[in-house]
Amino acid sequence: MIRQYYARYWKESFRSFLYIFNREMRNVFRDEGVILFFIVVPVFYPILYSSIYTTETIREVPVAVVDDSRSALSREYVRKVDATPDVSVLRVCANLDEAREMVRRREVYGIVNIPRSFSADIARGQQTRVSLFCDMSGLLYYKAILVANTDVSLTLNADIKIARAGNTTAEQDRVTEYPIAYTSVNLYNPQGGMASFLLPAVLILILQQTLILGVGLLAGTARETNRLHELIPVERSHHGLLRIVFGKALVYLLIYVAQSVIALGVIPRIFSLPQIGNPVTIAFFLAPFLLAITFFAMTLSALIRERENVILIIVFASVPLLFLSGISWPASAMPGWLKLISYIFPSTFGINGFVHINTMGADLLDVRGEWDALWVQSAVYFLTCCLTFRYKILRARVRTYRLYKEERASREVRVG
Amino acid sequence: MLAYLLLFKREFLRMAARPVYWFVMVIAPLGVYAFFVMLMQAGLPSELPVGLVDLDNTATSRSIARNLDAFQRTKIAAHYADVSEARRALQRGDVYAFYYIPRGTTRGANRQEQPTVSFYINYSYLIAGSLTYQDMRMMSELASGAAARRVLYAKGATEGQAMAYLQPVVMDTHPISNPWLNYNIYLSNTIVPGMLLLFISLLTAYSLGTEIKDGTAREWMALAGGSIKRAVTVKLVPQFVVFWLMGAVYVLLFYAYLHFPCHCGIPVMLGAMTLLVLAGQGLGTLFFALLPSLRMSMSMCALWGVVSFSTCGMSFPVMAMHPAIQGLTQLFPLRHYFLIYINCALDGFPWQYAAWNFLALFFFAAAPLLLMPRLKYSVLNYKYVP
Repeated sequence: MIRQYYARYWKESFRSFLYIFNREMRNVFRDEGVILFFIVVPVFYPILYSSIYTTETIREVPVAVVDDSRSALSREYVRKVDATPDVSVLRVCANLDEAREMVRRREVYGIVNIPRSFSADIARGQQTRVSLFCDMSGLLYYKAILVANTDVSLTLNADIKIARAGNTTAEQDRVTEYPIAYTSVNLYNPQGGMASFLLPAVLILILQQTLILGVGLLAGTARETNRLHELIPVERSHHGLLRIVFGKALVYLLIYVAQSVIALGVIPRIFSLPQIGNPVTIAFFLAPFLLAITFFAMTLSALIRERENVILIIVFASVPLLFLSGISWPASAMPGWLKLISYIFPSTFGINGFVHINTMGADLLDVRGEWDALWVQSAVYFLTCCLTFRYKILRARVRTYRLYKEERASREVRVG
Repeated sequence: MLAYLLLFKREFLRMAARPVYWFVMVIAPLGVYAFFVMLMQAGLPSELPVGLVDLDNTATSRSIARNLDAFQRTKIAAHYADVSEARRALQRGDVYAFYYIPRGTTRGANRQEQPTVSFYINYSYLIAGSLTYQDMRMMSELASGAAARRVLYAKGATEGQAMAYLQPVVMDTHPISNPWLNYNIYLSNTIVPGMLLLFISLLTAYSLGTEIKDGTAREWMALAGGSIKRAVTVKLVPQFVVFWLMGAVYVLLFYAYLHFPCHCGIPVMLGAMTLLVLAGQGLGTLFFALLPSLRMSMSMCALWGVVSFSTCGMSFPVMAMHPAIQGLTQLFPLRHYFLIYINCALDGFPWQYAAWNFLALFFFAAAPLLLMPRLKYSVLNYKYVP
């Protein structure tokens, strides 16, 4: 008897779970707006961003040279600066005013001014100063001009030093150049490129934001079309909280597993972004991330009253979220309470963990903190999702009952 | 006159009925201002955690470490026993970089054998990486110089002679108008107006599209006496006023109160902000006139708004982009606003050098005028598609 009861219970639960799953799947693929956010945007945006940043670094920044020395040595200096990959000498100007006018017209982004006494100073064994005037309309211009000139001045210095030292062997020359040598190693993003740095973070953020947008759109539609504008309609099939939550969540999860493979597996390969992570590790890491963003999105969707409002509310949040993740502005320079706020969003942990695994080749143990945090978020947002849904279901029932009573009362009045 | 008043009244009632208007026009912009002010409160990032692997363990290597620690931007957060331990810490994200002094560095330097120190920088955090790189390279140059200077002093050179010998050519760098090398100058002054632009264009498309969605478009046109220009103008004026006020709050907050560089004076930036608000409304109307579906036009506004943070050239210069994309950046109002800001406020050049950008913002504001007949047709005839 009892066993029969449970058998029937499970069968019925499963049936209504399947019903909700099917219905949600249909809702997703019948709604062009949701298809746009679930399917098109996660593929289109990464391609767009990758093509914007595809050159990775800036090369051949145009500069103007004002060479007051006009000596063999100063011309050598200018030639060497022109030969660096970072800077190209667009014009040798007669005076600073001419060069300044070129900066104002944005024809050049910096001025290299070699003083009149340049080669005389060096011949006399005195220090001489080359002045750089950088247009600060972008930090990368400044960086390129500074790096090129510093490198050239260091090699020139080494040459001068060696010439004066009067060494006898090449080994001595080498030591004179640098008593203690140094090497600098750029890890994980050897060219110091913009795409390799920004895109892995953007990819994760796009997954989260599009999921929230799509789920919000679905919730808005549900509330617009359902009777009484409730998120969850009062129907026979919509009994049982867990069935509703799991039925819907499974739809989103299935779609986003596929989207993750495209966004995190295929796109980085096409645009040759760093991808040294172990795919299995990434898969393990993404499991709690996808769960967390799904339940996070479902919790948030309870706030959406109208379909299109979700675009107004969610889109702009992407920019602060990217900053909160600490990927561009260092997290160690962020005030503590902002860091606390950042823990609310799955993207913070998702971005950091994914960058560590995918770009830096970390294993799961290295991102243990992020991984655990994502599991905690999954659990918390699952609970909040259940609570809000339960509240919505109860409210819908109360409202329906009240309406039913009112209708009956009015009918009785009419009959009476 | 009465018709205008009735239209205005209708508009205010619509705005008052939907809390989302107030969220997008007032709460969200203020929240964004607060966010960026707080985020960058501490100024330039300082004391970035780096690691140290010192296998040499001599007075010299310790003095290198101490000096590195004393740099403003770098803090030695941990000492590691070997390189692979440091690498793991880097992968975990504990440190942004580490400095490696191998065994025998001091001995090698004393014996003139040219030992090599190295530093490893995690460039997947580009800004933190670049900042620590500068300090570590500087430190290595100094260490090398210090060793050579010791030899020179031992040979009896004076300090002036030693410096002239070590560094015959010195760089005198003048980062004009941003001597602090403050990245925040680019971030806050572009991202905040960019967000404002995003809000403006989205809300413009939203407010036009909801007329079709609610099925009130015909009533709206009838009240405007069948004139689409009048209908749209009256719809957008209240939003313009609120957004302009928000823009003015931003300009005053950033240039008058927080004293970001503003060489052109506040009125010019207020003028640029006015043009930006108009351009945003023009962009929203333009997209709605081209794609009279609420969802599509809002998606286009979102796309334009979000992508413009990249195409404005604030962090990654337009010059370095693919030539085709360089041309396309002209289609983003934020790009023009950014150039106006750089030209007038940051560099203090006469506005004529940015004349084209002022004109371009004006074009964005005026562009929808060409599509008014189409807009009228679609407002009257299109049905809402979810």
